[in-house]
Amino acid sequence: MAAEDLKKMITLKSSDGEEFKVEEAVAMELQTIRHMIEDECADNEIPLPNVNSKILSKVIEYCNKHVHAAKPVADGASALSPAEDLKNWDAEFVKVDQATLFDLSLAANYLDIKALLDLTCQTIADMIKGKTPEEIRRTFNIKNDFTAEEEDEIRRENQWAFE
Amino acid sequence: MNGLPAAEPPASSSSPPPPAPDPFNSLPDDLRDNTFSLLSAADRSAAAAVCHSWFQADSRSRLSLTVGNCYAVDPQVAVEKFPNVRAAVVKGKPHFADFTSFLPPDWGAYALPWVEAAVHGWPHLEELSFKRMVVTDECLQMIAATFPNLKALRVNKCEGFSTTGLEAITQACRNLRELDLEESTIDNNPLSHWLTNFPESLETLNFSCLTWELNFTQLERLVSRCRNLKTLKLNNHIPLENVASLLRQAPQIVELGFGKFSDGSDPNLFANVKAAFAGCTSLTRLSGGWGNGDVPEYLPALCYLPAFSCVCEGLTSLNLCWATTQGTGLIQFIRKCKNLQRLWVNDLIGEAGLSFVASTCSKLQELRVVLASNYGYVGPAVSVKERGLVAVSAQCPRLESVLYLCRRMTNKDLITVARNCANLTCFRFGLPEPNPDYITGRPFDAGFRAIVESCKGLRRLSVAGRLTDAGFRSTGELADSIEVLSLAFTGDSDIGLNYILKGCKSLKRLQITDCPFGGRALLANAARLETLRYLCMSSCKVTMLECMLLGDTMPRLTVEVRKNAQLKSVPPNSLVRSLYVYRTLAGPRSDTPESIQIASI
Repeated sequence: MAAEDLKKMITLKSSDGEEFKVEEAVAMELQTIRHMIEDECADNEIPLPNVNSKILSKVIEYCNKHVHAAKPVADGASALSPAEDLKNWDAEFVKVDQATLFDLSLAANYLDIKALLDLTCQTIADMIKGKTPEEIRRTFNIKNDFTAEEEDEIRRENQWAFE
Repeated sequence: MNGLPAAEPPASSSSPPPPAPDPFNSLPDDLRDNTFSLLSAADRSAAAAVCHSWFQADSRSRLSLTVGNCYAVDPQVAVEKFPNVRAAVVKGKPHFADFTSFLPPDWGAYALPWVEAAVHGWPHLEELSFKRMVVTDECLQMIAATFPNLKALRVNKCEGFSTTGLEAITQACRNLRELDLEESTIDNNPLSHWLTNFPESLETLNFSCLTWELNFTQLERLVSRCRNLKTLKLNNHIPLENVASLLRQAPQIVELGFGKFSDGSDPNLFANVKAAFAGCTSLTRLSGGWGNGDVPEYLPALCYLPAFSCVCEGLTSLNLCWATTQGTGLIQFIRKCKNLQRLWVNDLIGEAGLSFVASTCSKLQELRVVLASNYGYVGPAVSVKERGLVAVSAQCPRLESVLYLCRRMTNKDLITVARNCANLTCFRFGLPEPNPDYITGRPFDAGFRAIVESCKGLRRLSVAGRLTDAGFRSTGELADSIEVLSLAFTGDSDIGLNYILKGCKSLKRLQITDCPFGGRALLANAARLETLRYLCMSSCKVTMLECMLLGDTMPRLTVEVRKNAQLKSVPPNSLVRSLYVYRTLAGPRSDTPESIQIASI
């Protein structure tokens, strides 16, 4: 426990003023923060004006999980491999409403967290897969600004020439 | 982002808040492009039709493009629509042209218009592949001049160029990683220096199709300097001792192909070969042109197989189609290959050999058994029968892809295979004649029905042997995932073809030879033909008039008919020898030879 107390903590401050204390190792998952820490131009408190508290807390949850999952678990409680466990955890993690998913993706992009970026982009891609244009529009609440003829022509061109 | 007005759900509601209006709009371009890059071509085509901004995102972010039929679209259109392409694949003749004289030699599929468009419109191009097209030296010279950073050039089953063109590529493209000339027809210009000054970045080199003896010193220097060489496919005429010498210089090799080797003069050949192969600890894929013992200049290579046997354990892929000598050496070799995932053999392996495959290769995913007679074998027929396939299906649980050309089959055995291998994605089956079940005399309706019913992921199917209209009905109704269907010497009437065209929801390519199908089913399902990439029919019962009607009814289909070059036009009442029907956005092509007529009223 004493060793835990000595772990360096970094404070991340969300756009709406909430402060989150995280282990330095976890903060380093955010590549933008990592560069600041390594270049020693980070105070112990880092403001993140582009990320609100709701999203930041989820980002930290993700990074926490992934940093600690890298360590082997001694008890072997799970029947699955650690990698499968993590995959399942990730799958549950992205079961959020659409707005949160997109916010997470933007945050991962801004904070440069590759694994989270890949996960969120893949989740969004999975929402597009196998759907017709109209189904995609309904999923993301997108207005159709094509005429029926234009839409037909685009589909035909892509299917006939480029599939 | 933060500003998105995402409503918090009311405490009592269990449904998520409604999506914000087009959250995609708030994504920066690179994020949107990243997401699009995870989509298949089919999903991208749906995405592009969603709205203008998605259309533009797709257009901007498409990095990899495959044009399945070079005549389906104008190359200029392709290049303007997708300006940032890095990797392009363009295909010409249909697969059918490989093993029949379905198309005349001067049919077309010229790469030049594509090269011209690419040179002007794809500044970021790094990988270019052509398949079954006519590629000229001029094409290669233009590519070399415009794309010095080219990383990969694949020219598969093409023709029309020589080592002059290759020289331009090797001299200019100093970062080339891959040069793959699989099965192309290439002329030799003895003055070409294509082999002397190779870029050292090379990782894949396949020149197995070259029909002359290369300068071995140059080849050796190339192999020794390309430290990253992983795939090397040699041509014929290289003495086995030279193959061994190359391997000593490239022990890091992962894939090796060699042509038929000629007799060398090395008295310690066996030991040298053995030592060379022993050094290749990374070798996982092996293919060989193992000579026919009857041909004096080629070694009876099977006697050297034991020298290679140290690599057996590591092999995942083995191609022995060219092993046209009989002998137990083959089977002894295969029995050591416990980790094989892919095995291509010819029918000289026999039923006994296949039972050893079944008991040894438990990880087998792909099996091909071709006819030795197609590879130059002229000895007494051996052939395989039904037991071999059944044995493999029973003992190789990962089997996904089968090509099996055999002498006889029964429905019962097909049903057993279907039950054993529900994961099949490809099942290509052939008999020498349109025979029925050799025990019951019944057609293969039940057998193929079992295959399509059981193998829910089946994408490719070749049907042979007798099948009735009822048999086609089950195929049409049950084969939902089939994309490529080949029919040969089978069927009773147009009704069979009608079932196929009315069913087979995912069908993209249809190849038919020597079946009693006329044009009625085609005309009745003309609109369906627009959903296929192409239809090939050869030696069926379609009349020219039916072709003309089809061409007239469906202006976006090109109906190409083989004609006698001396005739001005195929007479309407005559049966067409072959027809090739494909959808196109570019209208009828302008480069048809005299031996082709585009059918229309």
